[in-house]
Amino acid sequence: MATSVVAATEAAAKRLPHRFGNKQIFLPNHIVTFIRPKPRQPPNLATFVVPLQFNKLDLRDYLYHAYDVEVTSVRSFINQAAPAQKHRHFGKSYRPRSQKMMIAELVKPFVWPTVPDEKDREAFDHEMFARLTAEREDQMDKQVDPSVIPLRTQTPVTTARKDLKAQAAEFLKRGEWTNGKAEDGKWTEVDKDFDV
Amino acid sequence: MATSAAMRPSMGALGRISWCYSTPSLTQTASLSTTAALLKRHKYPEARDNKDHNKKRGESAIRRTGTRWRLSMSDEPLPRPVPRSRLPAIETDPDHGLWDFFANRTSVAHAPEEEAKHGRSWSVEELRGKSWDDLHRLWWVCVKERNRISTSNWERKKSELGFGEAEAFVRDREVRATMRAIKHTLTERFYTWEDAVKTAENDPEINLSGDGPPFTPSDYLEDAEVAAEGDQQIAEAAEETAEKAEPATIPSSKPQAEAPRL
Repeated sequence: MATSVVAATEAAAKRLPHRFGNKQIFLPNHIVTFIRPKPRQPPNLATFVVPLQFNKLDLRDYLYHAYDVEVTSVRSFINQAAPAQKHRHFGKSYRPRSQKMMIAELVKPFVWPTVPDEKDREAFDHEMFARLTAEREDQMDKQVDPSVIPLRTQTPVTTARKDLKAQAAEFLKRGEWTNGKAEDGKWTEVDKDFDV
Repeated sequence: MATSAAMRPSMGALGRISWCYSTPSLTQTASLSTTAALLKRHKYPEARDNKDHNKKRGESAIRRTGTRWRLSMSDEPLPRPVPRSRLPAIETDPDHGLWDFFANRTSVAHAPEEEAKHGRSWSVEELRGKSWDDLHRLWWVCVKERNRISTSNWERKKSELGFGEAEAFVRDREVRATMRAIKHTLTERFYTWEDAVKTAENDPEINLSGDGPPFTPSDYLEDAEVAAEGDQQIAEAAEETAEKAEPATIPSSKPQAEAPRL
């Protein structure tokens, strides 16, 4: 009886893929983000953005206990953030918080779904989103360097300008337009009085 | 001595010249030209040997000489790797644990309309009646939900899916409110327990030493058996009430993860 219990325990221990950490954390507050793999990354590698205090063993235990995902090994690296300024383009310089990423080698491969086409992103209102983003980027560019003024030929013609042009042409055609001032005699039409 | 050493090369040259121009019958001793012994640089005892140690002497890629030794290779044609496009597609297990990071299995992130379909957070009043197991389970539901929201945010931004960030923020705020309520409940519970211990220390009816019955009512005397029975009844009643109060509203984390009520 006792031997069978021991054998069962040993078998259970063998079934567990690893030895796990002993420190119990009951109410963890970490956020782990699963991110899309790079284009040619094999499907047995899964990339995560983890808190900076995570280590490889933490991620392995976390994935096993919370997500029932077995992992053979973990690689980790830290992306150091580029120096930034407090108010984007001015203000005190500082180094934003770095970002830790880990790549887990999975026992079972996981293939990500492909990114939906722009047509299939209607639920996200992608068309409007793209227009807004482009407009915002233009505005940002103007703010960064106001001296860059696009050429007249390169700016799109607005409807207001088109209408104004049409109205002016109409006036010239009719020939009824005056500026509402009487002639004071100081002005002579050159080509009326002299032959040049 | 110095003069003789300086003379040696020119003497060798003289010898060769004399060999070239003199009649062969008189001076030629070897069929091939041998280097004049006089031209060898190191003649002294214990001098380093003057052999050519280059194992690749004569090998030339330009003249296609090949190697000097037979190589241990076979000339069988090597197998060519199958191009990646012709390999069978790898299928993901539909029960893979990593699906729990996704709000949606096709677009990863919820569309804004879906994202906005959530309830309110749990309040502290609602959580006061829950057991530790329930609260702990709810906490983990919240943790996984936050991972899901974070993954959606990342994907929405990187793949330029579209709108939905504001909805995700509101959802995340509700989850955080639930988590705060859980901590609030547990803190309250801990303070209540501390107060109860303090009160019990001064209560003559309660025995905190661990020996004997913990609670001895002083109002009336009972037989030991009756008291034991009474204790059992009280315990049973307590269990019943606990079962009634135990809400079955929070099932295990798996189904909760599918459709979490926040």
